[in-house]
Amino acid sequence: MSTSGERKVSASLGRSVRGAAPRLADLASTPEAPRTPTLGRSVSSLFGSPGGSFRTDDDYVVIEVGARFVRAGFPGESTPRCTLAFDPDNQRRVGDYRQWDPECAQKRSNPNKGQDWGQEFELYRMDLSRVDLGVVEDKFERVMRDVYNKYFVLDTKPRRILLALPPKMPHPLMSTLLDVLFGGVQAPSITLMSSPVLSTVAAGLRSALVVDIGWAETLVTAVCEYREVHEQRTVRAGKLLSEEMAKVLNAALDEHVGYQEGDDISFEEAEEVLSRVGWCKSKPRSNRRTLYFPARTSPILEEFEDAVETPEPTMTIPLPKASPPSEITVPFATLAKPADNALFATETALNEFDDHELPLHHLIYRALLFLPMDVRRLCMSRIVITGGVSALPGLKSRILAELEALVQAKGWDPVRNYGTASARHEQILRQQRDARELRRQEGDDTITEPLDPDSPLPAGLRGHEEDSIDAKLAHVALRNGPPPASLAGGIVRGVETLGPWAGASLVAQQRIRGIVEIDRERYLQHGLQGASKEKEVSVVPQRQSMGPGVVRGAGERASWTLGVWA
Amino acid sequence: MAQPFPYTYYACDCYDSNGTSSTKRASQLLREAEEDERTFDPRSPRANYSLYPLEHLLYCEDCQQVRCPRCIIEETLNWYCPSCLFEVPSSVVKSDGNRCTRSCFSCPLCTSPMQTFSLDTTGESAPPFILECQYCRWSTLEIGIEFEKGQGIAAQLARLGNGGKHIPTNKERDKERERRKEIEGRKARDVLSPSTESTNTDADRDDEPPSHDDLFSNLTAFYKSQVDAQTPSNPFSSHDINFSSPSAYSRIMNLYSTTGSKKNKRSKPSAMREAASSLEGLTLHDPANEAAAIERIKKEGWGVTLSPAQKHAQINPNVRFVDQLRPLATLLCTKRSKRCRSCRQILTKPESKMTSTRYKIKLLALNHIPRLSIRALNATPPIPVASRPADSFDYNALKPGMPSHFLLHLSNPLFDPIKVTLATPSTTPGRVQSRVTILCPQFDVGANTDIWDDALSSSLSPMRRGSQLPDQAPQIEAGKIWDRGRNWTSVAVEIVPGFTDAVGSDGQNELEEDEDVLEIPIFVRIEYETDAGADERGLGDSRGSKGEQEKREEAFWTVVGVGRIKG
Ligand SMILES: [Zn+2]
Ligand SMILES: [Zn+2]
Ligand SMILES: [Zn+2]
Ligand SMILES: [Zn+2]
Repeated sequence: MSTSGERKVSASLGRSVRGAAPRLADLASTPEAPRTPTLGRSVSSLFGSPGGSFRTDDDYVVIEVGARFVRAGFPGESTPRCTLAFDPDNQRRVGDYRQWDPECAQKRSNPNKGQDWGQEFELYRMDLSRVDLGVVEDKFERVMRDVYNKYFVLDTKPRRILLALPPKMPHPLMSTLLDVLFGGVQAPSITLMSSPVLSTVAAGLRSALVVDIGWAETLVTAVCEYREVHEQRTVRAGKLLSEEMAKVLNAALDEHVGYQEGDDISFEEAEEVLSRVGWCKSKPRSNRRTLYFPARTSPILEEFEDAVETPEPTMTIPLPKASPPSEITVPFATLAKPADNALFATETALNEFDDHELPLHHLIYRALLFLPMDVRRLCMSRIVITGGVSALPGLKSRILAELEALVQAKGWDPVRNYGTASARHEQILRQQRDARELRRQEGDDTITEPLDPDSPLPAGLRGHEEDSIDAKLAHVALRNGPPPASLAGGIVRGVETLGPWAGASLVAQQRIRGIVEIDRERYLQHGLQGASKEKEVSVVPQRQSMGPGVVRGAGERASWTLGVWA
Repeated sequence: MAQPFPYTYYACDCYDSNGTSSTKRASQLLREAEEDERTFDPRSPRANYSLYPLEHLLYCEDCQQVRCPRCIIEETLNWYCPSCLFEVPSSVVKSDGNRCTRSCFSCPLCTSPMQTFSLDTTGESAPPFILECQYCRWSTLEIGIEFEKGQGIAAQLARLGNGGKHIPTNKERDKERERRKEIEGRKARDVLSPSTESTNTDADRDDEPPSHDDLFSNLTAFYKSQVDAQTPSNPFSSHDINFSSPSAYSRIMNLYSTTGSKKNKRSKPSAMREAASSLEGLTLHDPANEAAAIERIKKEGWGVTLSPAQKHAQINPNVRFVDQLRPLATLLCTKRSKRCRSCRQILTKPESKMTSTRYKIKLLALNHIPRLSIRALNATPPIPVASRPADSFDYNALKPGMPSHFLLHLSNPLFDPIKVTLATPSTTPGRVQSRVTILCPQFDVGANTDIWDDALSSSLSPMRRGSQLPDQAPQIEAGKIWDRGRNWTSVAVEIVPGFTDAVGSDGQNELEEDEDVLEIPIFVRIEYETDAGADERGLGDSRGSKGEQEKREEAFWTVVGVGRIKG
C-alpha cells in the first residue's frame, strides 16, 4: 500500500530525530489539509522556551482539569494526590448535610428536569451556549479549595501550576478556570499543556495517535514530535455510553417483578454498573458489514466468539436504591451491548453518520488518513488510548482490532470510490489480504501484523522468519542509532499510557518549561487578550544572549502566547 | 433535609465582586448594574455557592464586610493526624503524602477507621498483626498482608505489596533497572547469533507486568537519561544545574521553535528518542490483560469489583478488583489561620497548641451583623426560640393559598442601635410563587448594651424578656412592629404559600427536588452611627470613649427558609 519501504521512511525519521526543522511544510501538503487551526498554530511553541526558573520541583503543583474530574498532585509522583469528581452532593449549600442523612442516601436522586443526562456531574461542556460560566467558576473554585485545603495542605509558599487541559478549550471557559487559579489559589504563574501531548509523554513516546475517550466526546489527536498535527472528534464517548447502559438496565428492570413505572435507573447507578461490570467484546463483529469485501474467510474467530456458552453466564446487579431495594440478573453479554451501540454503532451503516458522530474506529482511521505518509506510519504504530472510558475492559483491544480490519480492507487511499478502476483495486487489495491471512494461518501469531508485507518489523517485535539482511541492518542500527523498537512504524500497534496527569508530572519533574506560560500579573491586567497574536513567540534571542545556565531565576518574558489554544 | 425549618442563610457577594476576573470585566460590570435591581434567587444554581449559615461567616473589620470561605485566604499553622493526634513537622508533610505515617488507616471499602490486631492465638500481642475495619470487618488478610510489628504499620505497609510481595524502593528500582538493562544490552550485542529471542519481551517474561509505579519510575529514569545525554557534561555541575540549563530544557523534547532550530544544529547530533522497552517505560497493549479482566468479572461477579468512590479514594485509582485495594492512611488535618482576601487582615487564628480548640483571634460575622430569623406566629403564646423542637407548627406542611402569619426576628449584636430596612419581592422567584408581605419593613433595633451577659448568647432567649415591655398582647398592624426587646425587634410578615400543582400547567408536571420549599429572599440594610475608633481598640473598650461618630451602612441578602409546601 502506501508505505514505500521501511528504509526510506526511517531515514526521514532519523532526520527529524536529529532536530531538523519540523516538517510542517510536509504536513500542510496533506491531500486534505486539516481544517482545524491546530496545524497553522503549530504546537511547536508549546515547550521549548527556556528563560525561567525551575528552582526546585517543590515550586510546582500539577493539575489536570477534565469535564468531570479534577486531578491534582505534585511533580515526580506517579499518581495524583486526589481525583475529585463533580457531583450534586458536593454542589449543595454549606450546612446542607442531606448526603449524610441515611434516609436520603437510600433514595434515588432524580435529576432536575430540562437537564441532560449527567449534566449535574459535569464541570463544564465545550458547547458554551449551554453553560453558565458563573456556575463553572463556582464549582471549580470549591473543588480547588478542597484540593488545597484538604489534600495539598501546603505552607504559604506560592506555587506555580502546570495545568493539563484538553486542546482548544473555548477562551471564555479557559478564562473562567484561570480566574479561579490566579484569584482563588493565587498561583504566580500557570503553564498550560495539552492533554494529548502529555499522554504521549506518559507513554514514553514522541509521536502518537492519542485517542482520548472522554465524557462528552472522543478526541483523536495526531501528535508528531510533541506537536499536535491533526485532530478529529466524535460524540461517541462516555456520556453516550452511560446513557446506553441506562437503557439496557431499564429494559432489564421492565421485566423485573415488582418494578414500578417511572422508577428508572439513576445516573449514578448506570455509572457504577458501567465501571464495575461493563465490558466490551474485544473482537470485531462488524467486519462483514463494514468491509468492502464479503469475506472470503468468514472469520472463524467470530463464530467461535459468538458461540453460546451453556449455561449462559449472567451477572447479578444489586440496586439498593430502587424502591423496594432489589437486584436484577442480566445475561453477561448484555453488559457489552452499550459499548457496541455507543462507541462502534455496529447496527448502523457508515453513511448514516454525521461527521461528529463517527464510530471510534472510523474516526481513528479517518484521522490517520489525513496524515502525511511518514507521520501516519509513526502514528499508526503508536495508538495511545486514554480517557475515563478506556478502562472498560476489552475496549482497547476492540478498537485496535476494528482499526486493523479497516486498514486491511481499505488501505490508505483517501479516494473511496474507484469507479471503473474499482474492480482492479479491490483485486489487488484482496490478494494482499489473502496473503496475510495465509501467513496468519501458518502460525505467525505476533499480535501486531505488518500492514505491508514488505516492510520488516523492528527487531524487537520480529518473528522468526526475518531475513538476514534486515537483521544485519538492525544490528548496525542498534550500535549507531536508537534502538529499533523506538522506530516501529507501519503496523497497527497500541501503546499504553499512564495518562495526562502522569505525563504532566513527568514534564514538571524534568523541569521543562512550556511556552504557554501565563504570568499572574499580566493575566490580571489583560486576561487572555494579553496573549501575543503571533503564533510563535520567540524567546530564543533572549536565551542565547544569556547563555546556558545563566537564565535560572530570570523570570520575565517579553510576551506570551496561547499556543494550541490560541 | 438541608436544615430543619425554619432557617436563615446569608449571602456573601464576593463571587461577583472579586477583582480577579479579567476577561469578563466589561460584561460583569453590566451584570452587576443589573443585579442591583434584581432579586436574589435562592434557586439559581449559583446561589448554593454564595449562601452560608451565619455561623460559617467571618467578618473583616477593616473592610467592614462579611467574609465567606471563598473570600478568605487560609494559612496552615500546623499539621496533625486527627486519629492519633500526632503533630507532623511541616518539613515532612509533603514527602509523607500528607498522611499519617504511624498506624492510622481507614477502610478502603467503607472508610471506617481500622485497628491493628494480633493474630496470635495465645492471647499475647505477638506477630503476625493485621489491620481490620471496625465496621465492615474487612482486613488486610483479604489482600494477603500481615505485619511483623504492631507499630509503625505505615512503614511496613509501604514495603509490602498485596499478597505479601516486597515493594522495591526507588533505589532498588534503579538498581534492578540497571541490572536488566545490562542483560538486555548483552543480548542485543548477540543479535546476529541465530538464537535471537526478541529481547525485551524475554526480559519481561521473568515475572508479572510492571506496576504503575514501576512504569512511572522507568519513564522518569528514561527521560532523565535523555536529558543527561543531551547536556554537555560539566564535571563541576550537579544534575540539578545541568537540568536548569535552558538549552537542556529545549532539547529534552526536541521542541525547537521553527525559528530557533537552525542555530541549534551546532550542538552534537541529538539522540533524543522514544522509549524502546518496558525498562524505559514503554508498554505495548496486550489484549490478554483485558481478556483476563473480562473473564474474572464474568466468573466472580459484582462482588469482586470496586465502586467508583472506592477507586478514587485509592492512592492509585487505576484499580478494578477488591484484591487490589490498599488500606488508606489517614489524611492529616491542619490548624489554619484565616485572612481577609482583600486586605490580608487576620480573621481567625487558633492557638497553636495541639490540644487546644481555642482561638487567639476570631472575628465572627455573628458578632457584627444582625441575626435574622423567622418563625410561625401561632395562636399559642410565643415560645422561646431556643425550644423550637417543641414548636407545634408543622413547617413541613405549609398550606398553599392559605395566608398565614410569621414573625421576622432581628437581633443586634452591635453596641450601637441600628436602623433596619427589609425588602423582599412580593412574590417569590421560581415556578411556585408565594406571596410575601412584610408588614413593617422599617424599624429600629436597640443596642447590645449588656455586653458581659449577652454578647455571646444574644439570640438565645430574648423573647421572654422582651415580652415584658408591651402591656397588652401585640397586634398585627401594617407599619407597626410586633414586639421589641433590649437589642431585638420582631415584625410580622404575611405569607401566602404558592400552589405546587400550578407548576403542572407549564408542561413539566413534576416538581424538582426542593421546588416545594418556600424560601424568601430578604434584603437587609442597616444604618448606624458608631465611635469611629472603636474597632481598633477592640470590643471591650468601645463604650468607654466618646470619639468621633461615624455613619455606617451595611447591606446584604439573606434567604429565609420558611418550610415545605404540602397540598
Ligand atoms: Zn465571600
Ligand atoms: Zn495517626
Ligand atoms: Zn470497612
Ligand atoms: Zn478585609
